[in-house]
Amino acid sequence: MMNQEDQASRPPAQPVPAHSVQPFLQVVGVHKRFTGVHALRGVSLSFERGQIYHLLGENGCGKSTLIKIISGAQPPDEGQLVIEGVAHARLSALEALAAGIETVYQDLSLLPNMSVAENVALTAELATHEGRLARTFDRRVLAATAARALEAVGLPGNAEFQATLIEQLPLATRQLVAIARAIASEAKFVIMDEPTTSLTQKEVDNLIAVLANLRAQGVTVLFVSHKLDECYAIGGEVIVLRDGQKMAQGPIAQFTKAQISELMTGRHLSNERYRESAHAQDVVLDVRGFTRAGQFSDVSFKLHGGEILGVTGLLDSGRNELARALAGVAPAQAGEVLLDGKPIALRTPSDAKRHRIGYVPEDRLNEGLFLDKPIRDNVITAMISSLRDRFGQIDRVRAQALAEQTVKDLQIATPGVDKPVQSLSGGNQQRVLIGRWLAIDPRVLILHGPTVGVDVGSKDIIYRIMQRLSQRGIGIILISDDLPELLQNCDRILMMKKGRVAAEYRADQLGEADLYHALLSEAA
Amino acid sequence: MNSRIQPRMNSSIDSSNDASNDSSSRQTMTTPNVVEVAPSVEPQGLRMRLARNPEWFTVALIVVTCLIVGAINPRFFQFATLFDLLHSATTMSLFALGTLVVLASGGIDVSFTAIAALTMYGITKAVFAWWPDAPFALILVTGALGGVLLGVVNGLLVHRLKAPSLIVTIGTQYLYRGLLLTFIGTTFFMNIPHSMDHFGRIPLFFYHTADGLRAVLPASVLALVATALVTWWLLNRTMMGRGVYAMGGSLAIAERLGYNLRAIHLFVFGYTGMLAGIAGILHVSNNRLANPFDLVGSELDVIAAVILGGARITGGTGTVAGTLLGVVLVTLIKSVLILVGVPSTWQKVIIGAFILLAGTLFALQRKR
Repeated sequence: MMNQEDQASRPPAQPVPAHSVQPFLQVVGVHKRFTGVHALRGVSLSFERGQIYHLLGENGCGKSTLIKIISGAQPPDEGQLVIEGVAHARLSALEALAAGIETVYQDLSLLPNMSVAENVALTAELATHEGRLARTFDRRVLAATAARALEAVGLPGNAEFQATLIEQLPLATRQLVAIARAIASEAKFVIMDEPTTSLTQKEVDNLIAVLANLRAQGVTVLFVSHKLDECYAIGGEVIVLRDGQKMAQGPIAQFTKAQISELMTGRHLSNERYRESAHAQDVVLDVRGFTRAGQFSDVSFKLHGGEILGVTGLLDSGRNELARALAGVAPAQAGEVLLDGKPIALRTPSDAKRHRIGYVPEDRLNEGLFLDKPIRDNVITAMISSLRDRFGQIDRVRAQALAEQTVKDLQIATPGVDKPVQSLSGGNQQRVLIGRWLAIDPRVLILHGPTVGVDVGSKDIIYRIMQRLSQRGIGIILISDDLPELLQNCDRILMMKKGRVAAEYRADQLGEADLYHALLSEAA
Repeated sequence: MNSRIQPRMNSSIDSSNDASNDSSSRQTMTTPNVVEVAPSVEPQGLRMRLARNPEWFTVALIVVTCLIVGAINPRFFQFATLFDLLHSATTMSLFALGTLVVLASGGIDVSFTAIAALTMYGITKAVFAWWPDAPFALILVTGALGGVLLGVVNGLLVHRLKAPSLIVTIGTQYLYRGLLLTFIGTTFFMNIPHSMDHFGRIPLFFYHTADGLRAVLPASVLALVATALVTWWLLNRTMMGRGVYAMGGSLAIAERLGYNLRAIHLFVFGYTGMLAGIAGILHVSNNRLANPFDLVGSELDVIAAVILGGARITGGTGTVAGTLLGVVLVTLIKSVLILVGVPSTWQKVIIGAFILLAGTLFALQRKR
């Protein structure tokens, strides 16, 4: 605490003599493990005052874990955080706030039922009084703090706006309110997790100005974004994480985009294509003008039998929503679907099942599997009605045979089909889910992120299964943000942006870097 | 690639420096070059205002009910009716203000009636047996402390088990009531301690009606006023109160922002317990009767009143004024229907209809 006050009394914008320069925050040898995943493997970083850092890396590289550890949301397993020379083995959320570390999470962490002023200024009030709740607060001070912070991000500081509830504000304004909260708390270190995803260009420009401001006041900013163009526009240092390890750190101007992409993905070695020459078959699925308000609009494409069609895009591109619409989970509101040339309705998941369209969801634990039920029961759920004998009972012998066949076909590693699905590894669980749809002899199979959270060996097996299925004439739609996966397995790749199909590529004529640039480029 | 990007980066930094040099003299240091972004708040239409202040809907229902009842029976419009209303609303108001705090925090409590029953009966019986002349203030404080104790048990369980408060308080409701009936007693007694009896008879104000009856406003109404003021102050003027709403807005976010959820849980359930304990004692002195089978079973009436007062069952909202209006509405329906000759069984039908009406209205607003 004493040390902190020393720092505060020093004018932050002044250049400090070299001998007394001490990084604001050092992350020293931090490890973090979750069940089965080593998310951070000895990451060491150093953050100077008044600098902007861009934290880059693919999904699952450990970015979010690192943010959570710095902001005190999770403790590290090993290593420590050194804040202004004071080492901490772990931080609580309140300690991090008191030390001046503010996080603007992707979800913004605003309380929807409370006013703008309270969201902006109460956190600071709480942190300066060490979280004590048994006290009153001065509403005039609160309003003054809020007004100052709101004006600093270009929002009105008047009483009417301060009294507005967060739930009445559009998303972009909420974003600025969240940043205003960091300013109100006199943050010395602001973490912003993908702050520009919901902003228009004008709002992004405004945000960049806000960042320059913070920087001029000696505030350190850790900026997480997928949009490389913005990172270059903001300037500062870049930190690249891959598989829980720091790959590089340095001024962003010294790296080309291609270099950064390569550092982030780093998979230039394993570019072997699983996909072999596709033999053209008739169109099996013809989607025309598919639209669901606010999620995707006018999406049209054709899928041939035996073809693997990749669909990718950023999180807000509508790819996930498209997958769910095709599966009838959250149906499209306009457009039509033709299966083998005949129009079909996909209003519910059972519609999709009836037309033999299988859907393997991204979140297999919550949307797909009955974890505590045997493999056999999980495999037969989609075709259970055809297993009924004339008394309406399930034919156990056939069910058993079918499940055993699936286990063999899909190389599921288990001592028996009566073992619960939760006893299997992620990759094997995924194969049970695919096996369920094979049991209905599908025309179309939609695989949504089939290798998320699956180890390398299992990935390989799933890819081979996918290729084998396409040879049987099944049309496969592979929805994924794993670019090498798309390039290795697909015939064509659709790139979605802002709910529309922005481009179509032939997978065998494309490099990973090209696809990565296409994914991140602004043009829609 | 690099060459294309470099100039852009430089220009952005240059422009920001220029701007800050220009404006630093006339603006504060914090706002050199930030353009004002129109906040684009939705205009406050009538529906929006109603969504923010749902208590106006409650007021409307009260006015409509009064007009209908008054048209049928003009004797409704006299102070005596108001006194009766306030008298019978006291216990329920204390319960409702406690329930408001729990609902605002995102929880729910159905054990407060059991807390009230246990404290009122236990304390009345104990006082009568050992110290029949105990002063009323002491009895009231004991009731409050007993309520806090039982409420804090709720709070600890909810916080520790991370269990839904509905489950926990259903459990403790049975537990507290079972303890009362098993170990303390099942017979009701009219011989309540003298000071309690006396307090129940103190008039705050009285007058003689046209038919020569004495209309009395009992002193216990003061407890209602005091509790309303204290609850309002706690919720709106203290950090704890803001913490209650923060937790009701989102448990996870409140924790991330550094709110001490344990303290808030203990406060919320402890405070509700305290109000329940006080309400129990006042109930005994008002009715001059301690009945162990009393009170439990009226939880839904109380929760209904708070919901009708505009608090959302999902937490994070609700006001003291709205809650009191909700209590007035429910009490009105319960007491005046007899005045106009409607069978009392219709009470539940009307309260239910009002709740559905209010629920539909609020739901439609949120959907928009």
